[in-house]
Amino acid sequence: MPDLPELNPVIHGKLRLALLSLLSAVEEAEFTWLRARTGSTDGNLGAQLMKLEEAGYVAVEKKFVMRKPQTLYRMTSAGREALTEYVQALKQLLGAAIKT
Amino acid sequence: MTGSAEEQELKDRLRLIENMIIEGQQTTQRWGWAFVFWGVAYYLAIAWSTLGKSEWAWPVTMIVASLLAGILVSRKASKHPGTTIGRAIGAVWIAFGISIFLLLCSLGASGRYEPHLFVAIIGAMLGGANATCSMILRWKMQFACALVWWTSAIIGCFGSETAGSVAFLLAIFFCLILFGIYCMVSESRKRGLSGRNRDEAHA
Repeated sequence: MPDLPELNPVIHGKLRLALLSLLSAVEEAEFTWLRARTGSTDGNLGAQLMKLEEAGYVAVEKKFVMRKPQTLYRMTSAGREALTEYVQALKQLLGAAIKT
Repeated sequence: MTGSAEEQELKDRLRLIENMIIEGQQTTQRWGWAFVFWGVAYYLAIAWSTLGKSEWAWPVTMIVASLLAGILVSRKASKHPGTTIGRAIGAVWIAFGISIFLLLCSLGASGRYEPHLFVAIIGAMLGGANATCSMILRWKMQFACALVWWTSAIIGCFGSETAGSVAFLLAIFFCLILFGIYCMVSESRKRGLSGRNRDEAHA
């Protein structure tokens, strides 16, 4: 039996997985939009986004729009690659679970 | 954790990824208000030009409506993330707006404007814009709107002035007002579904 892949622990958390999946579908997203889509609290969302940023999976940009601060997040190519690998690993694990 | 529980957990993760990607892609589709807005603007311009007999009715209404729409769109755009599909659809409508504005202003200024031409041009161009968007979004309902606009353009070319005007008024009602309300209802339903996705992200 071939070795089963390990799931990337940075992405495996449900909120981080949701965030990365959301960001994969858009060019960039504002903090408040991500909060509304995930229903998360400011503190938790900020902490999870920071973990993704530290891993190099998301890039952050802070700017002012009409004098209001805006924090924009976008997925990096490393993040896209990591999410693709994660989905492949999930499918492989599911296939193995069905076979056993 | 048992084998079946692990399997369920993995399936939940896959479903979460799928739902969130759909959620992100759906952000481009919340534009139902814009159709209703332009439908009302067209009706106002028609009422003003018919009852008030003013040649300024169309240019003034359209410029004011464009400015208002621009403000509303920029406010909404700052709250919603950009997507490639959203940019493509935005480009179609911006190009349509510029083309129709230049064409009708030129026709008005040159004195070559006439009602048949007006219905034919707006019908054909709105048909083209709706058809392009329906192909990008793979949305049959919007393609049906394109067919209605094209039909009004053909009636504008071959029919009497009254027939062209009636076809144009009906096309505005079905393809802007009614279609816009339909979009807004389906958008609010999708918002309900996205509430369920939020719960999944926290489960």
